[in-house]
Amino acid sequence: MNWVQLLVLGLLLGSVYAMMASGLTLLFGVMRVVNLAHAAFILIASYITYLLFENLTLDPIVSLVITMPLMFGLGVIIYLVLFPRIEGSARYVEMTVLLTFGLALVVEGLLTFVFTGTFRSVRPDYVSTSIHVGDIFIPSNQLYASAVSFALLIGLWVLLRFTKTGTAIRATMQNRGAAQIVGVNVRRISAFAFGTGMALAGAAGSLLSFLFPFFPGKHWQWIALLLSLIVLGGMGSIKGAVIGALLLAIASAVVTDTFGPTWSPITFYLTLFLILLVRPQGLFGAKLRL
Amino acid sequence: MTHETEKLDTTDIPVVDQVDADVVPQRPDRAEGVISRRVALGLVVALILLFPVIAIPVFSSYAYVMQIGMLTLMWISMSSSWNIIGGFAGYISLGHGVFYAIGGYSAGLALAHWGISPFLFLPVAGLAAMAVGLLAGLITLRTRGPAFIVATIAMLFLFLLWFDNWEFIGASSGLDLPLVDIPVRWLKVPFYYAMALSAIGAVYLSYRIAHSKFGLGLRAISEDETKAEVAGINTRWYKVIAFSLSAYFIGTAGAVYGYSLTHLRPLTFFAIAVAARMVLMSIIGGRGTVAGPVVGAILIVGVNEFSVRQFGQTELNIVVTGAILVAALLFFPQGIVGSLRKSGRLPAFLDWD
Repeated sequence: MNWVQLLVLGLLLGSVYAMMASGLTLLFGVMRVVNLAHAAFILIASYITYLLFENLTLDPIVSLVITMPLMFGLGVIIYLVLFPRIEGSARYVEMTVLLTFGLALVVEGLLTFVFTGTFRSVRPDYVSTSIHVGDIFIPSNQLYASAVSFALLIGLWVLLRFTKTGTAIRATMQNRGAAQIVGVNVRRISAFAFGTGMALAGAAGSLLSFLFPFFPGKHWQWIALLLSLIVLGGMGSIKGAVIGALLLAIASAVVTDTFGPTWSPITFYLTLFLILLVRPQGLFGAKLRL
Repeated sequence: MTHETEKLDTTDIPVVDQVDADVVPQRPDRAEGVISRRVALGLVVALILLFPVIAIPVFSSYAYVMQIGMLTLMWISMSSSWNIIGGFAGYISLGHGVFYAIGGYSAGLALAHWGISPFLFLPVAGLAAMAVGLLAGLITLRTRGPAFIVATIAMLFLFLLWFDNWEFIGASSGLDLPLVDIPVRWLKVPFYYAMALSAIGAVYLSYRIAHSKFGLGLRAISEDETKAEVAGINTRWYKVIAFSLSAYFIGTAGAVYGYSLTHLRPLTFFAIAVAARMVLMSIIGGRGTVAGPVVGAILIVGVNEFSVRQFGQTELNIVVTGAILVAALLFFPQGIVGSLRKSGRLPAFLDWD
């Protein structure tokens, strides 16, 4: 395959990854939560999209309207139920990792129980079509998913940059204590940010449902990939997550083309290891002192 | 704490019983048991070793009981080992399934290619796991906190992908091992004893570390790494050595378990549920204590066996595992042994450190 084609495919998938990773890194930035259950929640949204498509033939892109608010609500509830208990504990960050690890297991088990372990996929018409520009081909589903992701990323940027809530979120990311002093209701902002991150997970779930087949155990692959992205970009840096996602998606497209699809995930894990060797803080991260 | 830490030395891991007396003065007075800890531990070991004999007249389903005994010992071996890095040093690893696999596959390959019995190969399987642990530790331990956990997950998936595609070891379809030629009724007994060796070794290692300056250094790292470093502890090597040591008896457990299955598949060893169990057992028993992971292992194997018999081998088991983990973290973060010690009600026979 020629390089332009690989670049295009990489950028298309990369923007979807970027959207997924920005939700995860937002949670880390605001609340120091490494959400190992993020991909499990993404899968919940995928299964909701699957049900809506199978029963009501609702287009998976339209179902974002349902999955995003639903996951926002779920996020706020999870935040309010679980996190006040562990906030202020000596090993907070570690606790969040283990807690969300437990949550991920619960979600995986429940999904397997309800939907069994078989592969599912959502197949609207545009799954099998593609657009040709010169000798470059663009699969329609990837194009649409990428466009939606891009729009959501712009939305996130506008939210963080130009609204009062966004300013409060960014202030909390930079310095939680100082934000509190100048009158930011840190707990409410955290709940809102958790909800926003989860809403992005909801969107990601709907989009992934028609990009790749999925089964309940698949969230481990997704979370490993997402974590590689945000460690590469520097944990808590949204800009880093986006750039990391685009770079790795292109790299993985090249690896897939050269060595076959089996080896494409290895790009992510190997990059993660190499980054840790030379620059543990990631591309845009401050050195982690946790 | 400074007067102890300045004596620390990385080159050897001194194991001095009298350190016990002056190193841990802050602990509330131990309740005077009827029997000393040494006698209690001796009794436990004797019970473990004699159990297969005692069980003959007691249980009708002898092979099943031996299987459960072997699994319990395996998980004791794994959670006690994990506790060395995850409990003492406070570095949570979710990638220890790798060492389980290295142990299982190195012993399996030795049997399949050179005909060496895995029982004899055990020490080497442990060493192989340890060597991989050393290399992996050098890389992953460059990070701290959440980034470390992420790195260990990436390590797990990297190895899984490699094993899944490595034809020499059978790739994802697996590696077949010759069967052990023993009547079915007694089949599990040698595995039981090999696993007992591994479990006793793991607990002994954990005990010796807990009672050494090395263990004290690890605890200092877990409390506050920067302060530990300032106090003169070579934190980097302490962590790497702890990581590597924690791999040894997970490797031996993997070797025995793999042989007992007679068929090795990557997913058996790399499944995230394996790593999850180690973590859960340590936490529920009491992370950072010697007895905790043992108590946790016995408890969780029991709960798991009960739920399998009640509900069958369903996905609900993984839900139970996850839910217990969440509940333990929220309501019971110090675990059974930790909580009992805090309230001063820890029975003497469980006070191993």
